[in-house]
Amino acid sequence: MPRTTLVSRIFLLTCLCAALMYGQASQPQTPPATLTVSGDIPSQLVLKAEDLSKMPRETVSIPEQDGTKIEYEGVPLREILKRAGAPMDKELRGKALASYILAKARDGYQVVFTLAEVAPEFANEPILVVDKRDGKPLFGYQGPFRVVCPNDKAGARSVRMLETLEIVRLQK
Amino acid sequence: MVLAMLGRNAEPAEPDEVQTYSWNLPKGFPKPHVPADNPMTAAKIELGRYLFYDTRMSVNRKASCATCHQQEFAFTDSRAASIGATGQPHSRSAMSLVNVAYSAALTWSNPRMKKLEDQVLAPMFGDHPVELGLREGDGFLPMLHSDPKYQLLFERAFPGDADPFTVKKVAKALAAFERSIISARSPYDRYHYGGDDSAVSDSAKRGEILFFNQHLSCFRCHGGFNFSDATVSENNAGREIEFHNTGLYKIAGMLSYPAPNVGTYEYTRIAADVGKFKAPTLRNIAITAPYMHDGSIATLEGVVDHYAAGGRTIESGPNAGIGHDNPNKDPLIAGFQLSRQDRADLIAFLESLTDEEVCHDPRFANPW
Repeated sequence: MPRTTLVSRIFLLTCLCAALMYGQASQPQTPPATLTVSGDIPSQLVLKAEDLSKMPRETVSIPEQDGTKIEYEGVPLREILKRAGAPMDKELRGKALASYILAKARDGYQVVFTLAEVAPEFANEPILVVDKRDGKPLFGYQGPFRVVCPNDKAGARSVRMLETLEIVRLQK
Repeated sequence: MVLAMLGRNAEPAEPDEVQTYSWNLPKGFPKPHVPADNPMTAAKIELGRYLFYDTRMSVNRKASCATCHQQEFAFTDSRAASIGATGQPHSRSAMSLVNVAYSAALTWSNPRMKKLEDQVLAPMFGDHPVELGLREGDGFLPMLHSDPKYQLLFERAFPGDADPFTVKKVAKALAAFERSIISARSPYDRYHYGGDDSAVSDSAKRGEILFFNQHLSCFRCHGGFNFSDATVSENNAGREIEFHNTGLYKIAGMLSYPAPNVGTYEYTRIAADVGKFKAPTLRNIAITAPYMHDGSIATLEGVVDHYAAGGRTIESGPNAGIGHDNPNKDPLIAGFQLSRQDRADLIAFLESLTDEEVCHDPRFANPW
């Protein structure tokens, strides 16, 4: 192979690699469709949309301002916490009751739920981590995951763009 | 013959039909609150439309409601300050009438003005400033009474009423027409409620996420289906109306905003209310420039920059001052950083709220 051809091929390959790298870097950052459970649990748990689809699921109807009801579908928060090893069921007593969940959104928004609020022994209706609205995946500023609290009068704890659930145990 | 008298845009309607009204609201839009003493009927709305566009409803037959509320500009007038029939300028910018049926408070800053039937009287009869310049004794009611077209319109709007030619009935008809102007068919609506992923650009989709982002917090004052925090509907009385000082001014002296536009302070006389104005709907915002209560920001880009800076600084002149430091400024106006792309995305989202249909819908057009 003539030297000039080899050099030009190397040059072209270098340009191609650079273009690919630049192209990759300039792509809009798509938020990862994962939910991370961290904090005072045995080990961090990362759930993908696919994982959530295989967990026990429930639906809840929430009335909208137009009088219609929106059906949200997802996984009860207690199921996610159970899988993460947070104290639930019989373990949720004594010092464990001084625990809370810090739910964090992609934009930095944060709200708190006590662990007892999530457990059926204490709460009347489950808090859900939903990924579907009227049968369709959540999109835009709503998703891919959001909290839905059917018993809350105001919607401010229904965290959109949910990314992290951090378990904090104040007494161990 | 009867139908011909209703004008060129009138639709044929059976008598029973004109005494009812169907909102035909799309998904996501609640039924508006309507006062029990002024139910919506097609006949009343039609009368209101004729009155709204009739220049005989002014002191010199030069202006009508539509002078300051033009359909092509989403029922604003594209002026920083509106001008009345006699040429007298208003101190504030005309608000859009689109979706006014959902407004918990009317006007920019009067917390007590909540009913359209009351509000329409201000432009008709007010003299600070003169808008339409009417006076009850001037003869506009006899004019309506003697006009064959209005005779029929009033008869259908207020059937069985022995004396429908009153200011109160005029106000009811105007209010009914204004309530009927619903904007719900923007590209954003097709995307968000209709599930049409191609209705808005990728830039607008990114802008939507920014709009609802905690750091910008635009949605906290411009939230809900109507992008306003002063929204009511049939089954939702709404929360207490909030007015906001956005740090637009901080002039020297006791009142930090230039008179006469001192915000809700004008009505409450509470010092903390100086500079507080309503967060209006952002629907059709791209075609309702100039912006803010006094039209003092010419473009949407300027508005975004104002909020990004956490208040406006005016270097010189009678309104010089650092609005960022206004003591009444809403804590939400803390400022934020945006890249050039973010800024363009946010504006693309705001542009996606433009409803071309409402600007060309013949039901809201000039019938004369």
